[in-house]
Amino acid sequence: MNALDFLRGLLGKRPYAFAGLLALLLLVVNTALQPAFLAFGNWAAVLASFAPLAVAAMASTPAILSGGGGIDISIGPLLTLIDIVIVANLLPNGLTSPFVVIPVCLAIGAAIGAVNGVLVAVLRFQPVVATLCANIVIGGLATQVQGDTVPSGSTSWTKDLAGSFGPVPGALLTIGAPLVIWWALSRTPFVKALYAVGGDDATAFSAGVNVPKVRIAAYSLGGLYAGIAGIALMSLISEGAASMSAQYTLLAIAAVALGGTSLAGGRGSLLGSLLGAASIYLINNLLNVVRVSTLWSTAIYGAMLLFAVVVGAVLTNARRRAVA
Amino acid sequence: MTTDTAVADPTTGEGGVPLLHTLNEWQRRVPLLQLLALAALYVYGLSTIEGFGSQRVLYAILVNASLLGLAGAGQTIVVLVGGIDFSIAAFISAGNVIIAELCGTDHWSTGAAVAVALAVGVLGGLVNGVLSYRFKVEPLIVTLGVSALLSGLVLKWINGSATGVAPAWLGTLTAANGTTFGIGIPPVVVIWAVVAIVIGLVLTRTRAGRNLYLTGVNQSAARLALVRVNRTWIYAYVASAVLATCVGILLAGYSGSGNVTIGDPYLFQSLAAVIVGGTMFGGRGDYWRTVLGALVLSVVALLLSANQLSSAAQDMITGGLILVVVGLYGRERRLRDRI
Repeated sequence: MNALDFLRGLLGKRPYAFAGLLALLLLVVNTALQPAFLAFGNWAAVLASFAPLAVAAMASTPAILSGGGGIDISIGPLLTLIDIVIVANLLPNGLTSPFVVIPVCLAIGAAIGAVNGVLVAVLRFQPVVATLCANIVIGGLATQVQGDTVPSGSTSWTKDLAGSFGPVPGALLTIGAPLVIWWALSRTPFVKALYAVGGDDATAFSAGVNVPKVRIAAYSLGGLYAGIAGIALMSLISEGAASMSAQYTLLAIAAVALGGTSLAGGRGSLLGSLLGAASIYLINNLLNVVRVSTLWSTAIYGAMLLFAVVVGAVLTNARRRAVA
Repeated sequence: MTTDTAVADPTTGEGGVPLLHTLNEWQRRVPLLQLLALAALYVYGLSTIEGFGSQRVLYAILVNASLLGLAGAGQTIVVLVGGIDFSIAAFISAGNVIIAELCGTDHWSTGAAVAVALAVGVLGGLVNGVLSYRFKVEPLIVTLGVSALLSGLVLKWINGSATGVAPAWLGTLTAANGTTFGIGIPPVVVIWAVVAIVIGLVLTRTRAGRNLYLTGVNQSAARLALVRVNRTWIYAYVASAVLATCVGILLAGYSGSGNVTIGDPYLFQSLAAVIVGGTMFGGRGDYWRTVLGALVLSVVALLLSANQLSSAAQDMITGGLILVVVGLYGRERRLRDRI
């Protein structure tokens, strides 16, 4: 019973611990069944296939943290749009330098995120409404840019991103960049202001926080991360992927919730989303490893997601009730 | 955030112009702007597209709106109670495939197949409602999980490809040239009208409906007012799942065969119909508004496809239009007014 109490205490204080434990458990099971999974030579490939979901989950996090029903369901289409812009517009026109491609992608992502932020914070649309419309519009735009034939292409540095730069797996850069940006931002007042706004926007406003500015910044940051996710996706699949947008939207939000971030805002962390994404990725990987018929895999994925969130809720809520 | 004053447009709600103020009061009670948008779009269609006013086009719009409106009915109920349902698409596909397979491939009687489909709907809705209420898990995640579980099970059951054919009489229900008891209206439109009246009355005139609104506005307050919050919440999800399953059954007639992805477009469209109608999360709005929302979206869809735009352009215009329409009436209050 003591172990259970300890676990509950841990989960109450650190909501991301559940996703961490789940990811660890799944990692152990994955490795036990397929020892090559953790082999050093395999890291780059594993991380590269994990990167798009990981960064998409982190991209969904700031909007949710900003509270007021905050959510960004346009992350999926946005990252596929960026992927398509690289393969269909930039690379074929000779713009292959990372010093051109990366800033362009980040700028598109941040700009679209900022538009979402303005819709929510200044024009006072409900976040679900604003980003649902953004989802539809960006999805259409992505299909338009992609054209009738699926474009494909890659260049040396995107291949390295999906592989490795010397001994360093390229995906460490795409997964690491959002974490580094977040760490840098947490040295500024922004992150504290974001949690304050997410916890209670009226109180934050009374305390002199510029709530609209913080929210716009949060959505822009999400868009910026979606830009990184788009680069990660592009380097992984090297082709347009307009049809994958809905899948990424939903998986990313599931990862955020699994990572202990409250969809009510103000509580949670980027790390939690990363761990939540890792859990989802490892669940899918496990289903591949044990050679479950692909026909079963969707059902099992759904069942495991439900099981994970319910177990997480039982452990975390019990703690919350005990404290209250 | 959950008071009804938030529906009023604060830019005019401060008593500056009496006429606008009065109009605002009306807008809160009656979906004036939604009606206006619908009329404007229809007149625009009449004046720019030849044959837009024909009965054939009108019935095409109505059949489309009926299916969307029925899918949006469950979403309306769930949104009113303060949740959200992302599993509607999966229930639509499940209902569709179950009917087509059981009737078409296994030669069950229609009644038995419908009963199975509805049972799946009830069961799935219970899982949605119980898990999200009992364990206080975000409904968004629970419904996503149930959605994956259900569509996975359906996919496994039919081994990856739907082969069934829907019973012929189902097709007559959704045919735009169908008749109801000899009257020249497609049956699905009549079904929608009956369902709309029933849901509208239940929401506004019965205790169950009132409980739904109370739970949506404030669960703790509703509990203190002796509302059985748990039942209300769970029944709302069951209703949503069952309605979605019925849409799937109707769609089997519409498309003629089973299709595991037939529900997918309804994932976001059902939510869009609710939003365009002006129903807000947690206790504001009613089903009539979603009916209008479904009609508006269907007229827009027909206008866009009649103008031969690419599906990409149609998406972009639809998204922008929803934003403009909702911007007219569905915005939040200013932060400084909420202190």
